[in-house]
Amino acid sequence: MVKAGKVAARKAAAPAGGAPRSADEIPSVERFERIVDEFQRRLYGFALRMTGNREDAEEIVQDAFVRAFRALGKMTPEQRAELRLQPWLYTITLNVTRNRLRSKRPTNVALDSLADPDALLNHTQEGPEQPEQIVERGTDLELVERALLQLPMHLRAAATLRFIEGRSHPEIAEILDQPIGTVKSHVHRAVRILRRILGPQVGRIAHEDRGTAPGAQEEPINAV
Amino acid sequence: MRCSDVEALWDEDAKSERALAHLRHCRDCQCSYKEYEGVAYCLNCLPVVEPPQNLLPRILEHIRLLRQHFRSAVPDSFTRMDSPLGNLLLAWRETGITFVGIERGDDEETAKSVVERRLRRPLLKAEPPAWVRGAVDKFFATWRVDVDRIDLSGLSPFERLALLKAAQIPPGEVRSYGWIAREIGNPQAARAVGQVMARNPVALFFPCHRVVDASGALHNYGYGIDIKARILRMEGYHAAEPSARKVH
Repeated sequence: MVKAGKVAARKAAAPAGGAPRSADEIPSVERFERIVDEFQRRLYGFALRMTGNREDAEEIVQDAFVRAFRALGKMTPEQRAELRLQPWLYTITLNVTRNRLRSKRPTNVALDSLADPDALLNHTQEGPEQPEQIVERGTDLELVERALLQLPMHLRAAATLRFIEGRSHPEIAEILDQPIGTVKSHVHRAVRILRRILGPQVGRIAHEDRGTAPGAQEEPINAV
Repeated sequence: MRCSDVEALWDEDAKSERALAHLRHCRDCQCSYKEYEGVAYCLNCLPVVEPPQNLLPRILEHIRLLRQHFRSAVPDSFTRMDSPLGNLLLAWRETGITFVGIERGDDEETAKSVVERRLRRPLLKAEPPAWVRGAVDKFFATWRVDVDRIDLSGLSPFERLALLKAAQIPPGEVRSYGWIAREIGNPQAARAVGQVMARNPVALFFPCHRVVDASGALHNYGYGIDIKARILRMEGYHAAEPSARKVH
């Protein structure tokens, strides 16, 4: 359950230029449909990567929006004005995911993901130039999906938010309610474990594809 | 720069010149960095899976039902009423009084929506019936209230026990959170009792202002510690010197 106290404590960072948000931008239950429309895709993707199971992801997203709606209804206008919507929604989704996975046996997670490869199959048939086809040369996206699911929950959350959702360290720190240093160390540990599971070929694939082997060429290394 | 220092910078968007220089010359780090970038790249390549088309309508339908539930909930009646402590906010149903609070200078609409959020039910402004007026008048005349005038249905069993026990503290006296916890057979629960007092929906009538900490300090009050002291003075309570304080 989302605690009102926690919600209240989540202050908005000063917006760029210090401009206050207009009434239209402040999240509210009256305009909640718009929030659902804007975020359901992203939260579904996140929940799917965290659980490896489509049914779970659907349930989680629904539950997360219901909780958000209820919590928003209990907030004062000041609390809503200070709320940072996107990290808050990720936090709720993550909490629901944790609760749901906790009530399941851990083995179910991995089995579910194996039993449900439709997402991957459907997708790779669609576009001939999808980047994942490049990865398929040496490894296999299904392998990557499964490797991610083998991570402990907190490392999976850090890696998913960082590399799949593309969130910044400060934003992940806010979502997970952890110091930035802890987030960085979790991201590192996640990568280290994934490297071990996926084997050394993953490094070669990426660089062969992009021709950016560090050291081999005297040019700055691109940010990941 | 040591390899471990450089590794810590891999995930930074801006890498320092020193880190880049190290990376150009250290074979081990180059190898590890390739693997690191590879992992990131692989994760990045995972397809974006679209939610099923019926997910959005399903969620919106759920939200619509929640809205309907709130709107169709039978509203409590609500009024603002003068009192020796300033304006009181009161809500009631046929079954009893559901909310008493002290107004904090909000306009009526704001005050109403604050109480609606507390009760999670809509409120309808109404003239208070005689039994509600009677309960308020009796309280300020005797500092006592009939608990059967209070609707307890929204409270958990623990909240009910703690608040009913608080209602037994005579006017002009105080007791500690620990005392209530012991009296209701849960001596470890002093902090939980504190939380119940903090959430007390029927202030004054459930006299959480008579509950203080074990040293006799007033501790806290939802409407401000000055108000707590004022109510206690009005009831005839005089705090002893700190050295002589001992609260049951």
